Amino acid sequence: MTWLPYLSYISLLVLVGGIVVKVIKYIRMPIHLRWELYPVPHENKEGSYFEEIDWWKKPRKKHYLNQIVFMAQEILFIRALYHHNRKMWYASFPFHFGLYLVIAWLALLVGESLLKIFGVIGGVTEALQSVAVVVGVAGMILGTIGCVGLLIMRATTSDLKGYTAPTDYFNILFILAVLGSGIIAWFFADPHFSVVQEYIRGLITFSVAATPSKTIAWYITLFSLFLIYLPFTHMTHFFMKYFMWDKVRFEDEPNFRGSSIEGKIAKALNYTQNWSAPHIQTGKKWSETASKGVE
Amino acid sequence: MKKNKLTLKDMSNASGQLVELNQEEFMKLPPPYNTPDAQPPLKALTEEARGKFECDLDGFMAIKILRPKSRDEEERLVNKFLDGLRKLLSKENNWTFLMPLSLSLEYCAKCQTCSDACPIYVSSGKKEIYRPTFRAEILRRIVNKYIRKQGAFSLKMTGNDIELNWKLVARLAELAYRCTLCRRCAQTCPIGVDNGLITHELRKLFSQELGIAPEEIHTKGSVQHLQKGSSTGMIKQAFADTLEFLEDDIEEKIGRRITMPIDKKGAEILLIHNAGEYLSWPENPSAFAIIFDAAGIDYTLSSEIVGYDAVNYGLWYDDFQLARVALKHAQIAKDLGVKKIVVGECGHAHKAISVIADRIFTGDLNIPRESCIPILEDIVVNEKIKLDPRKNDFPVTLHDPCNMVRLMGVVEPQRRILRKIAPQFREMEPHGVENYCCGGGSGFAIMPSLNFPDWRSSVSARMKFKQILDAFQDIIDPSIKKMVCAPCSNCKGAIRDLLAYYNAWEKTGIAYTGLVEIIVNAMVDIKEPYIEWPEF
Repeated sequence: MTWLPYLSYISLLVLVGGIVVKVIKYIRMPIHLRWELYPVPHENKEGSYFEEIDWWKKPRKKHYLNQIVFMAQEILFIRALYHHNRKMWYASFPFHFGLYLVIAWLALLVGESLLKIFGVIGGVTEALQSVAVVVGVAGMILGTIGCVGLLIMRATTSDLKGYTAPTDYFNILFILAVLGSGIIAWFFADPHFSVVQEYIRGLITFSVAATPSKTIAWYITLFSLFLIYLPFTHMTHFFMKYFMWDKVRFEDEPNFRGSSIEGKIAKALNYTQNWSAPHIQTGKKWSETASKGVE
Repeated sequence: MKKNKLTLKDMSNASGQLVELNQEEFMKLPPPYNTPDAQPPLKALTEEARGKFECDLDGFMAIKILRPKSRDEEERLVNKFLDGLRKLLSKENNWTFLMPLSLSLEYCAKCQTCSDACPIYVSSGKKEIYRPTFRAEILRRIVNKYIRKQGAFSLKMTGNDIELNWKLVARLAELAYRCTLCRRCAQTCPIGVDNGLITHELRKLFSQELGIAPEEIHTKGSVQHLQKGSSTGMIKQAFADTLEFLEDDIEEKIGRRITMPIDKKGAEILLIHNAGEYLSWPENPSAFAIIFDAAGIDYTLSSEIVGYDAVNYGLWYDDFQLARVALKHAQIAKDLGVKKIVVGECGHAHKAISVIADRIFTGDLNIPRESCIPILEDIVVNEKIKLDPRKNDFPVTLHDPCNMVRLMGVVEPQRRILRKIAPQFREMEPHGVENYCCGGGSGFAIMPSLNFPDWRSSVSARMKFKQILDAFQDIIDPSIKKMVCAPCSNCKGAIRDLLAYYNAWEKTGIAYTGLVEIIVNAMVDIKEPYIEWPEF
């Protein structure tokens, strides 16, 4: 299985590359009109600065901590689902929290590997290993429970069935396979995840020496394939949330004269539009069309 | 007509009217409307209308699309729809909403969490066609199949296989006007997807590419606004005459004449009202004049065309019409040399000029804009005029206009005002940013043609009616006069029609008004009650 490390490297490259391409696509989009939705947590109340007389003369107070707490609740505990769709939350929360624990498990294994690479051994690495076992197994079991719950819900709930595509089932089954193979690898072949940690250390130092057992190789293969698949799916919402929430829903930055926002607006108003309805003068710049009025 | 559960593919495959609304399936209303006979029957479209216009969605009609005369014409319109869709996804044509639209198209997990947040879906008895994800999912599938050109296998796997034909396009156009853009659905989405935005963008596609929009918001709305001066059709001279009439009326009511300043150069504030107030509720701009005069506010009205009407219907369906009206408002303010523009009690005008058009103004047209509510709060709470709350000793509940509250964040000042001057103030549930739309949002309040008002009052406004009835359920006896305060012209229009539709004044004693009328009603200096209750 000399190909296994190559697969792992490719999967990491595709994952990072895919994320970068998606992020760049959105970063390069022009400024958009405001479309915020309240409550906006950095406003520190349900309302906005529009509740104040002469708001533009007053210093902007943005409560970033509130926003971080709000988003942490949203990401970690799926707050919106808890409040508005409790039935689905019972499956979605273990699914997502399980995946977060698996990510934390990987981070712990990477941390342990780095410490060992730098010659730190003994108490710290052993402690990390012990924590990693608990976090990893808990994550895989929770995630598996979530996957099964989501599959049952999608297959049996009439509201969901009509909107669930084969790829939606495939995505959940794929994650279930990755998590299930992880549990099998832990139970039958690698109770302390020491083999997986060795493998990660080998990847970091470009020196994967030992060939893991078939059980572990299956797990690593499925995991790597999943990382390759991930950027091409809507599951990338885990990082695109930044744009959806911070750049749209919470984006209430006012446009002041001479600001960078005004500069971006001026650039956008220079675009040439070609809408063809009779009341729009097609082929003209945005600014000309908007200022000319209906002819 | 479709008998079994509706599927997305039925939008293009099924023939005839897609769904039939059954009032017995609608969300139940509280007493005294908890019996079937307490609800007026729904009017059907005439055979003539059915023959002439596309109406194969739910038997109601918001936009009058003439049925194409030939297959060629149908094909031309479908191709135009696709052209528009491409433009919607290009930065040159749609820089205004490209990022939010792309995100909402790409990341829906189809968990349906948004469905129960939608008052139309819930009120209709959960008709599939009104589910917030229904129209959004149709658009996603068209984009994936016809714009991104997914292959056959991919289409099958991703469930994006849908046939684009004229039936689908015509139904989608009508379906874009079965959502009030209240964006309550977006508020509940765990990912941040906004199906309200997708509806907004669909409306833009139809207007900006195919020239299809309800005539009340386009031809008789924003076009008339820009050409004649007001969406009401009020020309400049008529506006001057109206102000004179209002001054006479104020004098008659309060015993002294108040001059409403017009085109006063260098005033602190340019105050712009929804011109519908002058015609339908003249007591509202009059109340502003009385309050501002008493508080010594330095303001002016404008008699320039467009300048005396705050509405901006483009907000609901067309970015160019939105920008044209907003720029005209800003130009008038600049010419008058005012320090800021203040919008009267009109929710969508608030959001259009303060929030949405904020990223259209540049240079000296970027004049500060403000809601009237904080100024009124300052006057009332800081006692800049003498008020006696005992004069408002009747039950009052507050309607939160979506555009002002959930979509702009003006939540508390109006409450602080009412707590100060209305001793029997009580909240609806839910309220504030979680409020329900009046049912007339996104233009519905001003779309009276054919049988659409029936749909509005029985479906889109049903949840609001339930909220109002629930708020007063302990005093629902019609002998107890009660008031809904709606600080928004369109909301008032929708609530007026809603109360009339259900004969609510006679059956429950519920009336409606704006916020400034309640303030003036409490003014110590004004001897006679300012609020005029309906006659029994």
